[in-house]
Amino acid sequence: MTERFELTGGLRKNLYIMIGIGLVGLVGAFFLYPENHHSRFWSNLLLNSYFFTGIGIFGIFFVAANTLGYSGWIAVVKRVLLSLSGFVRLGALFALFIILGMFAHQHNLYDHWFDKHHYAELANTKQFFLNPLFWTSRVVVYFLLWILVGDRVIKAFSEPNSNNKEVYKKSKLWAALWIVIFAVTESFVSWDMIMSTDPHWYSTLFGWYNFASYGCAAFAFSILLTIFLKSKGYLAQVNENHIHDLGKFLFAFSIFWTYLWFSQFMLQWYGNIPEDTKYWIKRFDVPLFKVTIFLALALNFLFPLLVILKRGNKRNFKVIGTAAVVIIFGHYLDFFNMVMPEPNFPVVEHHAAAHHASVAKADYTLLAENKDVAAEAHTEKVEVVAEVAHESAAHSDANHEAAHSTPAHHDAHGEEPVKTYAGLGLFELMILTGFVGAFLLAFFDRLSKEPLINESDPYLKESLRHHVEYA
Amino acid sequence: MAKQSNNFILGLWDHEEVFLHAIEHLRHEGQEIHETLTPFPVHGLEQALGYRDTRLHTAGFLFGATGTTLALSVMSWVMTTNYPINFGGKPNWPLPSFIPITFELTVLFASVGMVLTYCVRNKLFPGYVPRIFDKRTTDDRFALVFDIDGKSDSDVEKIKQLCNSNGAVEVKKRTFDENE
Repeated sequence: MTERFELTGGLRKNLYIMIGIGLVGLVGAFFLYPENHHSRFWSNLLLNSYFFTGIGIFGIFFVAANTLGYSGWIAVVKRVLLSLSGFVRLGALFALFIILGMFAHQHNLYDHWFDKHHYAELANTKQFFLNPLFWTSRVVVYFLLWILVGDRVIKAFSEPNSNNKEVYKKSKLWAALWIVIFAVTESFVSWDMIMSTDPHWYSTLFGWYNFASYGCAAFAFSILLTIFLKSKGYLAQVNENHIHDLGKFLFAFSIFWTYLWFSQFMLQWYGNIPEDTKYWIKRFDVPLFKVTIFLALALNFLFPLLVILKRGNKRNFKVIGTAAVVIIFGHYLDFFNMVMPEPNFPVVEHHAAAHHASVAKADYTLLAENKDVAAEAHTEKVEVVAEVAHESAAHSDANHEAAHSTPAHHDAHGEEPVKTYAGLGLFELMILTGFVGAFLLAFFDRLSKEPLINESDPYLKESLRHHVEYA
Repeated sequence: MAKQSNNFILGLWDHEEVFLHAIEHLRHEGQEIHETLTPFPVHGLEQALGYRDTRLHTAGFLFGATGTTLALSVMSWVMTTNYPINFGGKPNWPLPSFIPITFELTVLFASVGMVLTYCVRNKLFPGYVPRIFDKRTTDDRFALVFDIDGKSDSDVEKIKQLCNSNGAVEVKKRTFDENE
């Protein structure tokens, strides 16, 4: 019962190779795609570090919620879920890197409010929230809370004498504290790190939506890693009933994710307010994002609905393991759709306010020209693009050039897909591989520090006898 | 419909663990159990009786799929063919705005359909008079019912003897009238 996980040399080597692939991918993306302030490199960094940090803090949240809910079945897989948070420290390093890069003007991730001229265009209330100092201190506080309080919460759940009533009661207090901290920070961090890449657009359910997305990934990872540990001879006490319960949560969260995704989409589609719809126009006008949006919807909704709804499939390690891999990739794609479009939009620097004004003026000229020459059939489309051009691409390369050349040159603008520097290719897969490697290394490292199962857990007996009768 | 049997042997137990073991032994001996009656849901009873999984959720899926199809097809027909109106400049076939109604109809069909199926399968419809084998099965007795229509006396004796040897506190014959 006091068995411990040991990270063997072979596994460690494989993980280092994965991290190496990721580093090669990062360096390659940095040097081969220098356009637009290396936006491909920076946006991949933000995407992956945010995704895996979210999975980490979700692991602690899920155990905390189950502790408060008196659930017993979870006792044997507790360590797996808690160890997902090993990556949070690495996530903090990447966040620090991104903050330093921002202050050194090395990337354009947060240019829409970090840049002086764009900052001036923000509404007053947003200026208070999105000024660099306040933003940075918030992000630092989130990571400090996650690391310091998170470690304390994990310790409270793994106390060696937790069947002692006082120790058990104290672990409940820590669980409650973590729920409060998590609820606030996960919403705020989604606004700060992801939604603020376009501060003019907002969605009031963005925090939940992010939560549901990395929640699915966290369940998928814990299923996958539990099956992996079992295949290595560990966790003999875990059987298909525990995997079945994790699978039920994976399925429920997939449906929950779909509900939030659709709520966000449908209200903005139906309301048809320009400041809402531009988020979708930016995605549907670029062929790459149009594909990834529908692919993410298929992998995260239709796939779980058809594959893991069935009881037998949730109890079959091969089926649920494969489904977990597909769903992890699906939610990676979901964050890809959230993060990628904005930083990879062509943006030019503003050297002087006068220049900025002349570019803006040229934009309006361009729009007017476009409207005049557009054939009737394309009127709607041009207006749509005009909206984008006005709202966010006002400073795009194309329009920038327009300030110096004849607007007629860009007549075809309305029919061309909007340009993006993002891609979903070899480099994205390499960087994802690297981050998965780092995530798993941090996971196994944390897992090996304590016994796999806390033998003094007051719910251990219930968990060992757990079996799912129905559904 | 097959003719309903009127003659039964009733074995009564007073402890669920003994009762579960008795079921396993009797099934092992090849006895066919007509019905079990317990005062509360007994964990592991389905497995002991060897019942296959319920097909109620399959029925639920089919009811739900009916609701989905009905909602989508009726709305599509109305909005594109029967009575096309321009609502807020949206296309005449605005799929996203169909989804909430489709969802509601799916849930409605699945839930009502499953409830009705459940009631019909368990004969819980108005006017049905259930057969009471023994009133104490709603209190503190676990009962096994064996159908003895067309069985020889030696077979009946064997059932009685098996019940007794497996811890039954009472074994008795229960006969119903034709119209009961």
